[in-house]
Amino acid sequence: MRAERLTRSTHRPGGSTVAALVLLGLVALACGPASATAISAQGLEPGPDGWRGVPLERERTMPVATLADPDGDAVQLHTAFTGTPTLLFFGYTSCPDICPIHLAAIASAMGTAGVSFEELDVVFVSVDPERDTPERIEEYLANFDRRMVGLHGDLEVVEDALAQLDLGGPVVEGPDPRGEGDLIGHPAQVIGFDADGQALRVWPFGARRSDWIADLPRIVEQWS
Amino acid sequence: MNVAWWCSSTPGQIWTWRYTPFLGVWVFAASFIGGYLLAHRRAGRAVDGRLLRRWVAGVLALVVVSEWPIGQLGVGYLATVGIARYVVYTFVAAPLLLAGLPEWLVHRWFPATSRRRRVLAAVTTWPIALLLFNAVLFGTHLPVVVDTLKVTQLGSFGVDVLHLGAALIWWWPAMQKVPAENAIEEPLRAFYLFASSVLMFVPAAFLTFSPLPLYGLYELAPPLWLGFDPIRDQQAAGIMMNVIGGFVLWGIIAALFLRWAADREAEDTTARRGRDRATLQRIAALEAEAREPEPRADA
Repeated sequence: MRAERLTRSTHRPGGSTVAALVLLGLVALACGPASATAISAQGLEPGPDGWRGVPLERERTMPVATLADPDGDAVQLHTAFTGTPTLLFFGYTSCPDICPIHLAAIASAMGTAGVSFEELDVVFVSVDPERDTPERIEEYLANFDRRMVGLHGDLEVVEDALAQLDLGGPVVEGPDPRGEGDLIGHPAQVIGFDADGQALRVWPFGARRSDWIADLPRIVEQWS
Repeated sequence: MNVAWWCSSTPGQIWTWRYTPFLGVWVFAASFIGGYLLAHRRAGRAVDGRLLRRWVAGVLALVVVSEWPIGQLGVGYLATVGIARYVVYTFVAAPLLLAGLPEWLVHRWFPATSRRRRVLAAVTTWPIALLLFNAVLFGTHLPVVVDTLKVTQLGSFGVDVLHLGAALIWWWPAMQKVPAENAIEEPLRAFYLFASSVLMFVPAAFLTFSPLPLYGLYELAPPLWLGFDPIRDQQAAGIMMNVIGGFVLWGIIAALFLRWAADREAEDTTARRGRDRATLQRIAALEAEAREPEPRADA
């Protein structure tokens, strides 16, 4: 796609020199393999109500699932996080892109927007129980903010929790080009729940700090 | 092996240390050096080794910061490296290329009565050059421009060409020696360079002091290491622009000013010696005249 676009935009019907054609050929030849997933760098567009997060059309609630915190204590997902708005994210600690970008953006934006972890829970659920030990999850989240809650559980439990949210289960995508095991495909959005456990909005990958800074105070104000 | 034409940001692409050659960089390097040597051959001129070394060093500087890994890191992952690329394009490659260009070659590539020459003459007058350079500096560092253009190879290539072109135009009046070629002399040259350095503080300050990442492509790029903070990266980029744009450029201004002052002093000394020599000759002639015996009245 990209090669086609570049070729079209550089083609000049009047130019007939061999050098120009060779150059165009090189452009067409060389541009294709470098293309990657189409993610806009411009952040999320604000909706008519000013929110950057995308509203959910179907009603969904916090999944009924029993997971474990880093200490090994059982955590009932659907009861533990009622009473405060919650951002729920499914990811894994070896994730090279989506997870660290989302978590870093949320942690940084909470600081900038002055939203505390008492006002908003941020929950990370591992989709990679094989590699993500409780210690590893704790160590991983400490890179962003220790007050984020890291949960783990059996793969079946996590898959069931995802299914309750109409989200696909984790999929092994193939080897990580950095040589760190396998890449795992997982939902790329952060799901926002109000204090009653109702899922109201999602923030897809591409949400920037500015998007979170715009939405976090609204979450605390309107969803508590 | 993955190949590409030019470095560009590919959002979502994980950074790996796997070599990705950028063919366009090598095509341009070959055409720069080939064109230079060919022009000498066609003109029947011997290559001046000193000038060739400068020209090749300029081309090498472009290759180093445009090829993998610096090109890719700078365009897609680290704002600091991105600004370092700009700095090398502007403060290293462009002046080296100009310093390696013999005057006859300029006349050959820009014949006296050609339109090309008229355009060159127009854009390299110092107020226009200053305006163009800063328009490119500001324009190409706007977040919307960076996030839109650098995600395509053609856009990224266009930005790099703009940076090099603007830098060549900007350095032209400062490095030329012939007033007819738009050369400017001190103290105007010092003002010209100083004005640019001051203007460079503006985008640098935005980078350094912005509380949020300005560029989405760096903010959303897969981090090179865990705990990487795009704001710190942006601050480092701003500081780099400040340090190079400010202090290094001021160093260049001081060096050029001192060289100009030394040249002036040398000229004065030569002139004074000339005057002294003439005075001494006049004195010697007067003395000789005084020593000569008066012609005898009876002779």
